[in-house]
Amino acid sequence: MSSLSKTLRIIHAGALQQVIRKCVKHFSSHNANLTFEATGVGSREGAKRLLSGENYDIIALADQALFAELLVPDLVKSYYIFAADQIVIGYSQLSKGSEEINQGNWFETLLDPQVTFARSDHHLDPCGYRTLMVWQLSESFYSRPGLYSKMESACIPYSLYPKSLDLASALVNGKVDYAFLYSSEAEQLGLPYITLPSKVNLSNPAHANFYDQAAVSVESKVPGKNIIIHGKPIEFAIGISKESQNLELAQSFVELLTGPDGNSILEECGLIPC
Amino acid sequence: MNENIDKNTLTIPIERSIQAELLLLLGQKASHGYELIQRLNDADFKNGEADTATVYRNLRRMDKDGLINSHWEVGESGPGRRLYQLTPQGEKSLKIWVQYISQQKAKLEIFLQAYSQYEESLFNEENGVHKP
Repeated sequence: MSSLSKTLRIIHAGALQQVIRKCVKHFSSHNANLTFEATGVGSREGAKRLLSGENYDIIALADQALFAELLVPDLVKSYYIFAADQIVIGYSQLSKGSEEINQGNWFETLLDPQVTFARSDHHLDPCGYRTLMVWQLSESFYSRPGLYSKMESACIPYSLYPKSLDLASALVNGKVDYAFLYSSEAEQLGLPYITLPSKVNLSNPAHANFYDQAAVSVESKVPGKNIIIHGKPIEFAIGISKESQNLELAQSFVELLTGPDGNSILEECGLIPC
Repeated sequence: MNENIDKNTLTIPIERSIQAELLLLLGQKASHGYELIQRLNDADFKNGEADTATVYRNLRRMDKDGLINSHWEVGESGPGRRLYQLTPQGEKSLKIWVQYISQQKAKLEIFLQAYSQYEESLFNEENGVHKP
């Protein structure tokens, strides 16, 4: 394979930082003289960066639906679903109420005025709009009318945390008591977390119809206009830019991530290889 | 699953019965994981909810064991997904599972029959009926 002095540019969900690092390390061992530029962002922001003209070879996003909404067919020809995950509530040993919080009472703990919690920006990051969907579904699942509005009012302003990985850092640094994250992020950082019932955590395709009831308004690709997106099981996907000048290398990288070695890396990082 | 089956006694860890269910569903129709999870949870024979991690973990294990195989299927406009299908080895494995499940069913029927006799004896005892 000819890889002399080439640079592979990857834009990826912040939640995939460890996965991409490990894949890059593995890929580099078989491709000498190849350099990488990996950029971690909120996936919605990542897709919009391509739309604005930024060039990348590989796009790995936390929501497969972003490809159809923003990238296919103009910027990406095809894309592959490679991992699944779920939304959890991460915390630290210092978090207020961490001794009592559980799957049945988490909203009571979080709505305590002494407790702080955060989510990421839903306009930039799928974890942000998925968190809003979790709150909506919880209203119905736990029979708590008004829960969604209460959670929105009590949450730290979302603009402080563009992507879910920023939330994980805030937890580690003690800036917030609780944060809505992907299970894989909590696992990677060794953070304790509360799992949520499968009917609200967006993990199980068996509940796709129930998840679909949740709807969030986000900024569309047309400036100043919003679109409504509906809840879906969480699936990560990867694609290659049609503008890539390194198609062969990009294809090999995607094959690594979607093959047996990639599966092992995904499992090590707490994701579910699909 | 083959290494865990003693063909004489047919003892199989019950937590692996999800593999029998997945083999049957894949025998009926090749599917990707997302669809399989939905079909599995819709199936009348399923006890409890099959979670995403368990299904994918078992699919990878069965793929590695040669009971199923998989390839990427790219849709016209939708996403590419890994499509799983049953192999001849998987068909054999499914037959062994059916044999095992039939044995278990027979044993459960014997248990129910024995319980029925026990219940009848209790009833007779309470009502002063003595049978030799």
